[in-house]
Amino acid sequence: MTELKRLFPYILSFKGIFFSGVILMILMTAFELVGPLIAARIIDEHIKLGEGNIILEPILYLIALFMGLKIIHAITTFFAQILLATAGSKAIQKMRKEVFGHVQRLPIKYFDNLPAGKVVARITNDTESILELFTSVIPMFMASILTIGSIVTVVFFINTWTGIVMLIFMPIIIVWGMLYKKYSNDNNHIRREKNSEMNAMINESIIGMPIIQVFNRQEQIADEFEAINDDYYKSTKGLIQLESLTGDNLANNIRSIVFAILVYIFASVYLSESTVLTVGTMYLLVDYITRFFNPLFNIVNQLSVYEQARVAANKVFELLDAEVEENTGDDLEEFKGNIHFRNVNFSYDGKRDVLKNINIDVSQGETVALVGHTGSGKSSIINLLMRFYDPTSGGIYFDDRNTIDIDKKSLRKFMSIVLQDPFIYSGSLLYNIRLNNKDISEESAKKALIDVGGENLLSKLDNGIHSELTERGATLSLGERQLISFARALAFNPQVLVLDEATSNIDSETEQMIQYAMKVVSHNRTTFIIAHRLSTIQHADQIILLDNGVIKERGNHSALIQQQGTYSKMYEMQMG
Amino acid sequence: MFSYIKKIGWYIRENKKRYIVIFVLLMMSNLLDIIPPQLIGRTIDLINNDTMTQTLMWQIIIVFLLVIILSYAGTYFWGFLLFEGAIKIENILRSRLMKKFLAFSPSFYEKNKTGDLMAKSTNDLKTIYMSTGFGVITLLDATTFLLTIVLVMGFSISWPLTFFALLPLPLLAILEQRLGKKINKNHKTAQESFGVMNDAVLEVVEGVRLTRSYVQETQEAGRFHQLTENYLKKYMKVEKLDAFFQPLTILVVSLSIAISFGYGAVLVNNGSISVGQLITFNVYLNMLIWPMYALGMLFNVMERGNASYDRIQQVLDEKDVLDYEGMKVVETPEFSFNNVTFKYPLSKHNNLEDITVELNKGETLGVVGKTGSGKSTFIKQLLRIYPEGSGDLIIDGLNVSELDRDKLRDKLGYVSQENILFSRTVKENILFGKPDATYEELQQAIELSAFDEDLKRMPDGLDTLVGEKGVSLSGGQKQRISIARSLIKNPDILILDDALSAVDARTEQRIINHIREKRQGKTTIIVTHRLSAVHHADKIIVLENGRLAQEGTHEELSKREGWYKEQNHYYIKGGV
Repeated sequence: MTELKRLFPYILSFKGIFFSGVILMILMTAFELVGPLIAARIIDEHIKLGEGNIILEPILYLIALFMGLKIIHAITTFFAQILLATAGSKAIQKMRKEVFGHVQRLPIKYFDNLPAGKVVARITNDTESILELFTSVIPMFMASILTIGSIVTVVFFINTWTGIVMLIFMPIIIVWGMLYKKYSNDNNHIRREKNSEMNAMINESIIGMPIIQVFNRQEQIADEFEAINDDYYKSTKGLIQLESLTGDNLANNIRSIVFAILVYIFASVYLSESTVLTVGTMYLLVDYITRFFNPLFNIVNQLSVYEQARVAANKVFELLDAEVEENTGDDLEEFKGNIHFRNVNFSYDGKRDVLKNINIDVSQGETVALVGHTGSGKSSIINLLMRFYDPTSGGIYFDDRNTIDIDKKSLRKFMSIVLQDPFIYSGSLLYNIRLNNKDISEESAKKALIDVGGENLLSKLDNGIHSELTERGATLSLGERQLISFARALAFNPQVLVLDEATSNIDSETEQMIQYAMKVVSHNRTTFIIAHRLSTIQHADQIILLDNGVIKERGNHSALIQQQGTYSKMYEMQMG
Repeated sequence: MFSYIKKIGWYIRENKKRYIVIFVLLMMSNLLDIIPPQLIGRTIDLINNDTMTQTLMWQIIIVFLLVIILSYAGTYFWGFLLFEGAIKIENILRSRLMKKFLAFSPSFYEKNKTGDLMAKSTNDLKTIYMSTGFGVITLLDATTFLLTIVLVMGFSISWPLTFFALLPLPLLAILEQRLGKKINKNHKTAQESFGVMNDAVLEVVEGVRLTRSYVQETQEAGRFHQLTENYLKKYMKVEKLDAFFQPLTILVVSLSIAISFGYGAVLVNNGSISVGQLITFNVYLNMLIWPMYALGMLFNVMERGNASYDRIQQVLDEKDVLDYEGMKVVETPEFSFNNVTFKYPLSKHNNLEDITVELNKGETLGVVGKTGSGKSTFIKQLLRIYPEGSGDLIIDGLNVSELDRDKLRDKLGYVSQENILFSRTVKENILFGKPDATYEELQQAIELSAFDEDLKRMPDGLDTLVGEKGVSLSGGQKQRISIARSLIKNPDILILDDALSAVDARTEQRIINHIREKRQGKTTIIVTHRLSAVHHADKIIVLENGRLAQEGTHEELSKREGWYKEQNHYYIKGGV
């Protein structure tokens, strides 16, 4: 219920639309129940009189009244649905934007610990499940309860026994419905899982086809697939059997049983001769009982939708409750490009230090290369520099100002990063270079790309700088994607450049291409490079070799080679 | 609509008995279903005419209960048989598709995207299940039920009343068919727009470091707002169309009811029908709403089924399967390329031109060259995964076209550029190369491929699940498992197609050394970007634009002017 309490404010932002929808829905229910009353009246006051005694004119009036009411009923129904859908979808849009904005303010740590797909699901899919709560669950609940209440009341007035029968069947149907729903949901879940397992196997086989064929494993795969396919068939078969036994078929027959009881009641009332049921009343009872079942089934259906929405809402609120990082410091107005790490210690989990007593001094325009094995702490230094994380102790100074006191955004405005795996947004080439920064003109974006050596790329694409890059730049080579990230870094013209070199072994042409770009971009700029290939960093002013979070060697290339330490060994090995 | 039935005619004929039983049971339950309204109408008439007695009442109730039991049983059986038939055809078609997939040649996969093939094996099969399940039910049940009720209404009550009252009802079928189709189309567009929104969020979450470092948070929120706005519009369009459904149904049905009461009153007045009959008539009228809708739906379901079936049939009819011609078996794996020229099915120019190479048993061949120079194409010719080009590729004195392809592949070990592993355990992935390998052979393969150290760090050792559901491996780890998979086979010819690109120089050297030691006397082909991997080769070929540019040993080539010398120089100099 707490979820509901937190959800209501969203819909209440559109309360005018929402409540108009709810009111129309209530009216709609009322109109639905009035129809049979008019029909019963036509029967009892006119048609019942029988052969030769019927006057047609009043019947026509009543029919006109009936049609008039139905037209209003139809219009009400139409607007009720539209109003509720509008209010609901707007509320969800509002929620979605809020979650999105919240995600933008979460610390990087959050993303390092949660798969991207899950974060995305909170923003899109989970909110979509909540939508149904507003558009169907809440209104349906109200309408159904109203319908059931009115029908039961009217029926009790007409005939107590019929009313009692209804009251007895109500819980039976709801319990059956809930059991059936739960059971079929569980089973469908299993079935869906088996299905996706099967589809995953097809997918994997298509992708791995070269391997399967080269290793002559077609028969093995075919047999394994046949087993999964048959397994799926068998489990589905079982489900269908139960579905046919307990699903709609059972529901329809329960309804028939109620009608059989109705026959008994009609006849008994007549035979007891105490009270009289008119034909019109009997018609009304038959009609109302038919109408009585649908809202019951609706409630059962909506209960499971409600449950899903509740679970989804919980997940969304959990995300919204995750603490955002505070960003209080002052703006960094001016920055020359001198950076100092002073006695920096850092730990991700608070237990194990991944950086120990790091001291680095970089003057404006210098290039620092960080080398070391995986897990040595290179990436952590970059994480601290960009303030994705903050040091446990010690400090990082930008021109003598401790970065901890600087507003993160204003700090980052002086830096550009080129990531290991070049990230391409879906959008034009131009968008990928200047992002949303309109201060960078089309010309300067183009110039940046050409400066880093991307002239070929530009001429290769049909629409030049306006070409759309799809599927994360899958149509481009790694080198080309790398060039785009370099052009981006150059176009933003930062004081500090951070480069995380790609790990995989690229061919020598690409490597030369990237080296050229790197030189252009790092020119006259304070640069940090995480290097995997030592060939790329021989000009660096400082090379820092990290091992297990400690700086083990430092100096320029020739000094380190002369030291005959770890660096020189690594260098020899890489050069083969 | 009937063309779909014709297309699955083979299946219906194969299961003739099943469908005859279904038809008989269905007709039986249809007839049973029309009895309850008759019983209610009769009860009302008996009461209205003052002729109801205790005996009559019990007779009616007993008949009623019998009808319920029989109808429940009948519906259960035909429902089960019908849907079981539908999953059976889905099962059969899926199995056929998979067998076909396993037989297709790579050129088929070049022409068809994985996504499209997956859509066929998932969505299209689901549609066929729907069309053969719900579609056939609707076709049989809706039409026969409709017909039965209309006949009963006509014969047992009144033909003119039936005619006039039913006049508006076909509108429901048309409404469902037209509007349903339109909603479906719009729903798809809305889903697409949801997909776009989803992708954009994924991009933002995955690129969170980039967004933060370029301080794009606010702008991203603006972009996201646009996307939610867009989705909202599309969603509302669907809702607006959907909102027409219920109101129009209300109007059409009410019109029928109005006619039945108005004209019914006239008929009661002139003595053609009784009051009870009029009420029965109304109950029947309500029973017709579902079949009318169903008829409308039927057109769309069948149309979709038809299209899906065609798409699947297209794959099943595809002739692009690997040929099995050639019976001869290779004894000694020496081979030569004599003027081999080759072009990919989709390529505009020759991808290999006039290649002549000879290699003796036990020799090692190095293949180097720029990206796109034809290195992989060269290898694929040898694997015979594409139809051969012109010229002769001779292995062991036999032309490849005369060879038994499977037998040839049994002698080959192939490690591709893309490291395709299956979502299975590490052990199963390695044993893919030789399912009956001993424990010692497995251990040796792991050691040779330098995967032993990594294996110690795997949570469940050899039983660690890899891939989507298991641990994610680095590129280098994947490559080494792929190598182990080939080495365990101890093949006569081992082909490493740029298979070491993601491992570091030291590990690469370790693997190369292992291969040199253990594979003495066996033929090895190494395709690489890193020249250090082929220094030891007996013969190195340099490819350029699909042509053989240089040939010789490392010593010879590093002296001769050309690409090899340049690259070698570049590496020695340390990539300056």
